[in-house]
Amino acid sequence: MALEIIQEEIVEGMMKEQIQIKREKSLEDDNQSFFWIKSEGQKKLATENMVPGNQVYKEKLIIKKNIEYRLWDPFRSKLAAAIMNDLEYFPFENKSTVLYLGASTGTTVSHISDIVGSNGIVFAVEHASRVARDFLDRVATFRKNIVAILQDARKPKEYFSVFGKVDVVYVDIAQPDQTQIAMDNCEMYLKKGGYFFLVIKTRSIDVTKAPKRIVEEEIERLKPRFEVLQTIDLHPYDKDHAMVIAKFNH
Amino acid sequence: MYSVVLTELGISVFNDGKLDKAFSFSNPVKEYLLVKNKESKLNELVNYLASTQRGFSVSDESLLAILKKYSIDCHLMEESELDEIQTNKPQIIVDSGFASNLQDTLGKLREFALGLSSSKVTEVSESPDLHIIQAINSLDEIDKIANGLSSRLREWYGLHFPELDNIIDSINGYAQIVLAGKRESLTKQIFEEAGFPESKVEMLSLISSKSRGGDISDINLSIVQSIAKQVLDFHELRKKLEEHVEAEMQEIAPNTSAILGTAVGARILGRAGSLKKMASLPASTIQVLGAEKALFRSLKTGSQPPKHGLLFQHAMVHAAPRWQRGKIARAVAAKAVIAARVDVYGEGLNQTLLEKLNIRVDEIGKKYENPTEKDMRPPPSFRREGGFGDKPRRREGGDRRREGGDRRREGGDRRREGGDRRREGGDRRREGGDRRREGGFRDNPRRDRREGGFRDNPRRDSGDRREGGFRDNPRRDSGDRREGGFRDNPRRDSGRNDERTDSNKKRKKFGRR
Repeated sequence: MALEIIQEEIVEGMMKEQIQIKREKSLEDDNQSFFWIKSEGQKKLATENMVPGNQVYKEKLIIKKNIEYRLWDPFRSKLAAAIMNDLEYFPFENKSTVLYLGASTGTTVSHISDIVGSNGIVFAVEHASRVARDFLDRVATFRKNIVAILQDARKPKEYFSVFGKVDVVYVDIAQPDQTQIAMDNCEMYLKKGGYFFLVIKTRSIDVTKAPKRIVEEEIERLKPRFEVLQTIDLHPYDKDHAMVIAKFNH
Repeated sequence: MYSVVLTELGISVFNDGKLDKAFSFSNPVKEYLLVKNKESKLNELVNYLASTQRGFSVSDESLLAILKKYSIDCHLMEESELDEIQTNKPQIIVDSGFASNLQDTLGKLREFALGLSSSKVTEVSESPDLHIIQAINSLDEIDKIANGLSSRLREWYGLHFPELDNIIDSINGYAQIVLAGKRESLTKQIFEEAGFPESKVEMLSLISSKSRGGDISDINLSIVQSIAKQVLDFHELRKKLEEHVEAEMQEIAPNTSAILGTAVGARILGRAGSLKKMASLPASTIQVLGAEKALFRSLKTGSQPPKHGLLFQHAMVHAAPRWQRGKIARAVAAKAVIAARVDVYGEGLNQTLLEKLNIRVDEIGKKYENPTEKDMRPPPSFRREGGFGDKPRRREGGDRRREGGDRRREGGDRRREGGDRRREGGDRRREGGDRRREGGFRDNPRRDRREGGFRDNPRRDSGDRREGGFRDNPRRDSGDRREGGFRDNPRRDSGRNDERTDSNKKRKKFGRR
């Protein structure tokens, strides 16, 4: 496949004023998780491609100063959408370990894999074999830091190849009882003080209720064991979706 | 205290945290699965444990069950111990000699995960019900294609021989005549070979000599003939598929086929995703599968809920008078679910299901012979809102609100399973593939009756009306408006533009190319 290589200017640092990613840990300045790249006159999100030359979902690859970046489409990835909508916490960084539930075809997983780098690990859980097939073919086989787990997230005990506790749990499973599933997984695999990202697809929880109310109810459920830090509406990238960021306190 | 620990790469025996003995797997994926399924022999391990003559704590329930079979004294570890193993797994693997260092461990665990996940994908992809689903979907697809192509054929050859269109209903006969060539070369013999009755043959010969159509050049004729050939081929393929689905359904889902019939059964199976999933659905879900749109509208606005989805194609349901349909659909769905469960977990064909269903349907027929006052009233119309109009259904309108449909009931996999479109990547609209599937024509109740192609379409009682394309469509009088597809259809055209400007606006607003 002929790749369109474009020489573009990388916007140094976080030029987008309204986004100030708060870091709880002190990070070296050069350890940047994601980048804003000027492409076609607009600032776009990108991550440094861990597997140069490899495209996951036909995203544009941009080479600058001999480093290849992959544009990160907020319409395809809810984490990118959250960043566009002023996400304040971004615990994904070099060497992070992440448990990702609902990997689907691996769009978001691939970018997280870029970010955590070769010393990080992404445990990616997906239950549906049809999409897992694509995920294995396109993402998991190329990236040494992804451990693909084909299992039902309802049974966290059954996971294989998982060890230790992770820094971040990211959950994107459209199920009515997703919050409970997510909390059970955190209980087993998330460090104390670790971060928890929950994508709430309100329509999957209850079609009849107002999205706002559903989000509030799900947050109430988290409260006993989590400190909810931020709630983001993913409009216009995803309709009736919200992302909740929380911290795990036992 | 001795402990036996199962890891992905082997089984280790520890004595107070020191390695006592390790049994590594030569083929981790296979052997690990065997242990998990409690099918392993594990002779070496068992012999070793038996020789040490102690009590063991075991880290895994399946492993425990295997050891217990060999009457080895063992029990499951405490939660805290299991936690510790989970945390120190890489170290345990290195200590057991299954890997040389931590980095190597990670590599091996990843390999293991890849292998195991791949084997699961392979296993699932082999299940026969997935193939049935593909077959029935192909069949519906072929109906769509063949119908479109048939109308095109009638339209094109109609330039040369317009009268033929109105005389011959079956596209098969039509295509055979087209293959015979020009009007002038049509002989009685050809008509007879195509299987027309005597009376028709007479009429055809008469009309072909007096046709109003223009001449057709050889090049054009040869192309039209190719199309006719395709139509006939599709017809063959369709027959083959139908027989195939029939046979396969009888094979893997005999009870479901008995209750629903093979075609409807296969379609509902396709909706559910697999036989297992279908067996785990509630009957009420089966009843309205295929009518998602109406269902969610009713949940949202409190309008009338749908009585039937795909089930409308079921002979018992669509043959019944309107006021009995809901009751019959409910009865059929209830039995269909039980049948699916028997197919998954039981054995062979269970006759009582169908008998009971027939009894119940007769009962309904007698009890509700006449419509009640309520049934006489026309169904209330619902308020139209964005997305119900006749705009193209791709817009992000009301349709999207109904996403999440079945997933509430059967898990988010659905959205991922569908949409080949997602594989084409492209822009976000594609990702909406699932949304489109949910909010698109599938759950358009009007389509229910059409979805199954004409074969099991009740309207077909009145002959092949659909088969010939839109013979009963008044709009066809102005035939050519349909002909060019939407290009020269002003209404549809504006729709398209709408759509485009719409997305453009959106993109401008949110800074997207």
